[in-house]
Amino acid sequence: MDASSEEKAEFEGEEIEYLSYGGEHHLPLIMSLVDQELSEPYSIFTYRYFVYLWPQLSFLAFHKGKCVGTVVCKMGEHRNTFRGYIAMLVVIKPYRGRGIATELVTRSIRMMMESGCEEVTLEAEVTNKGALALYGRLGFIRAKRLFHYYLNGVDAFRLKLLFPRQELHFSGPMMTNTDASHEHTDLDNT
Amino acid sequence: MADKAVSEEASMDGQAPKPTSIPVTDNTVWADASPLLDAACIGLRYGELIHGDNFNLFAAMSALEIMDPKMDSGIVCRYYSIDEAIENGAAPVPISLDSTIDVQCTIDIMDHLLACEAAWHKGHSLAQTVFSCIYLLRLDRTASHALLHSYGRVIRATCKAVLSVVSDARTHEEEDLFTMTYGLPLNGDGDEKCLSMLNAVEETISRQLRACKATSSKRRVSEDLEPLQYNPNLEEGFCKALLCRLRFRKHFFHVLTCMKRPQGRGLELARKHIASCISELEFILKSAEFLQSCSGESCEDDIDDKTTASGREPIGFDASLNSRLSAPTPPRAIKILSWKKAVEYFVKLLHDLDVICSYSLDPHLENLLRFVVQFQKSQPDLVARSHLQLLLVQDGKLYGRDPIFAVITKAAALPEATKNHDIQKNESILQLGQCYYILQLVMNLLKILCTNAAWQRRKLGKILQDWRVIYLQLELALRNEFGEVSSSSNDENICMKIFQHILIWVEEQTYWIACRFLMLGFELELYSASEYCMVYWYSYAVLIKLAEKTHLKMAVSYDTAKRKGKKKRDSPKDLVRESRIPPAVLFLQCYICLAEGLTMMLAALRNEFMILQSPSPFNTEQEKFVQHFELLQRACIPDHASYLSFKESTTHARFSTLVMYNYFKDAQRIAKEVKSSFSNDPDRLAELRKLEQVAEHNSVALNLICRLGALDPSLKVSFEFSHHPFFATAVVRRS
Repeated sequence: MDASSEEKAEFEGEEIEYLSYGGEHHLPLIMSLVDQELSEPYSIFTYRYFVYLWPQLSFLAFHKGKCVGTVVCKMGEHRNTFRGYIAMLVVIKPYRGRGIATELVTRSIRMMMESGCEEVTLEAEVTNKGALALYGRLGFIRAKRLFHYYLNGVDAFRLKLLFPRQELHFSGPMMTNTDASHEHTDLDNT
Repeated sequence: MADKAVSEEASMDGQAPKPTSIPVTDNTVWADASPLLDAACIGLRYGELIHGDNFNLFAAMSALEIMDPKMDSGIVCRYYSIDEAIENGAAPVPISLDSTIDVQCTIDIMDHLLACEAAWHKGHSLAQTVFSCIYLLRLDRTASHALLHSYGRVIRATCKAVLSVVSDARTHEEEDLFTMTYGLPLNGDGDEKCLSMLNAVEETISRQLRACKATSSKRRVSEDLEPLQYNPNLEEGFCKALLCRLRFRKHFFHVLTCMKRPQGRGLELARKHIASCISELEFILKSAEFLQSCSGESCEDDIDDKTTASGREPIGFDASLNSRLSAPTPPRAIKILSWKKAVEYFVKLLHDLDVICSYSLDPHLENLLRFVVQFQKSQPDLVARSHLQLLLVQDGKLYGRDPIFAVITKAAALPEATKNHDIQKNESILQLGQCYYILQLVMNLLKILCTNAAWQRRKLGKILQDWRVIYLQLELALRNEFGEVSSSSNDENICMKIFQHILIWVEEQTYWIACRFLMLGFELELYSASEYCMVYWYSYAVLIKLAEKTHLKMAVSYDTAKRKGKKKRDSPKDLVRESRIPPAVLFLQCYICLAEGLTMMLAALRNEFMILQSPSPFNTEQEKFVQHFELLQRACIPDHASYLSFKESTTHARFSTLVMYNYFKDAQRIAKEVKSSFSNDPDRLAELRKLEQVAEHNSVALNLICRLGALDPSLKVSFEFSHHPFFATAVVRRS
């Protein structure tokens, strides 16, 4: 993505406010961001599924009262491991390349870690260099390649982050993994 | 809609759908539910959900399929059924009363169908591609139009043939769209005779071509033949355009039929048809100029994106029609390949099939494995790979011909004489279960090697465990049966030898699989640069074991041959041969040197210049190591390849020592030495040349970094796969 051709917002890092999902009033903000920036159409029930069951894992980024980014996640048991899953990550174009996405994801991962997850996973298009770089910096490896995962024929990587092993305190809800498809916006390198 | 009790499942025999209704019985009655539904709509606000014991958020989310017209009433279609489309003139028969236009449009339909077929092969569903053709959905309607009808039949029969090959081969979730045929009219009565119908049409057009040529040269024509269409200036061009298209279909169908014959009996004939297909495709490409010139439309810039040679939109296609009929049709729009790209696809497919047909059906497993790996380098698509898979494993035999157990004994380098007699006598030793299991493992491995690289790698990782288990079982059985016995009766000795051979072969094969697993990771771009060091280190550890087992197998085989009395005396030549390292092992040693060299160079770069590190806030290098090699570690391949040993091996890597003990120079030397042994093997010679290049460039880079690295901070080192897909080349640049 060529930053110089886009209208970039002017702001200092400290001006960005990060909030944990706080309730119904946040839902339309998240929905409009994701609908606007990603091409996958989701029903309102998909959003509710994530934010109702795992409100502590979704975060929003605000600049001067305007919502500029969001991350939506879930966690649950999958084949005997307690695993977090990053479903959606969006930052609007003028605010990209400034570490907002990294901060959003970091907060979510930290919460997953504290909740007893052993690993975190997501899928990303093999062509999404920005996302791959972002997650690579956070310690994700490319665990698998999924052939023609997306219907436009693009392959995906399954990215996985393994936390250092520690005594597990499993207290989270028991949910099966839906492997809901999702996307990430094409993010610039920070 | 309650009174429109017409079944959506339109009948497939071409008749108008009959109205159906469920009759009222003693216990049932029809009740109008509309008021109830209306009340529910008013009662629920946007985004609200009825929450029940068996209907939670997960269920709601999963049940809704956006943009599927069966579920999403907001999706508007142009036509809601095939009949509606036909009634509105979407697929007229004939296409036009003007015969010239009719022919033009028919050719457009043929071209678009080719583009659809290619899109299907590339991974989309039949419903949205080939069967977006309304004429195909109701083929009986075209009975009066010989050209369209015969062409449609061949397409249908071809799709069915290709489908059966891919269905029989091992496919999986990522390629499952290909085999979905729910609700599609694939089975046509009399489709076996489609070729004779096509031949008849071809014959007619050939005569029409001869007639128009004769007329143009002013010679008398005795035949009372109607021309193809009424513009005499265009007759020749149209005839030729049609003939190459018909002939391509004919030969392609023959290719599929020939390749289906068991034990590869039809491969030679298939090659002839492949050659004809390719030449007809060339004629098809050439016809584009003529077709564009008489299309009467202005030459557009994006002619290359069009799905027909003429550049016109074809008549009679609607991909949305099937979304209401077929089960899981992805509701998204897909892009049909351009006509040019479709032709390119078929050319590639035919070349890939030709490689398969030219294969010598080598009974030696290691040669077969090399062939399959080489074949996969050209990235063949699903249809080609499925054909290879079906050729290799038929009826539980290799090529439908060689019993797998015979293949294994040959691979295990058991001397010729040992095999039949001794094995049959001693079959009871290799417990029937283990025997069967090994056969399954080999057949499974061959099938896996024919699948796409991404899926292949995942499967190879999983089967490592199976191969390890069988090895341990065999080893246990060997010890239980023979203990530490050195030599007893001749019979027992032979049993032990068989066991030994197979044991070594199983281990060798296991390490081969591990190697392929690691190498595919590079092809699939699974490793980031900061992980190359550990990957090369692990590869080095696996390669060492592979070379060891390969060498052992050859040594044991030689030994066995000696003991069987083949060698009466150790002649000087024999002694020399025994001490010389076999070329296959030297080849592996070249790999080993390169892997070690790269490991150490990457480690030194990290140790001395702090580059290619990737510190993360959430985990360490150890977690990455554990994840990348989890499947190998679980199968203990190899033993003692832990993160700790990786760190120990690489912590002290320094450029000053590397330059003195230059692994790359060793690799160069070995590559040169072993070339002569492979003078008849062009693939291996090409590989050796690549290895030499890698070695040379890395050696130069090593020296450069050693001399200048510490002094010049502007030097940047990156690793690129410019000479070899697995072994990277260090590139040193000034930033």
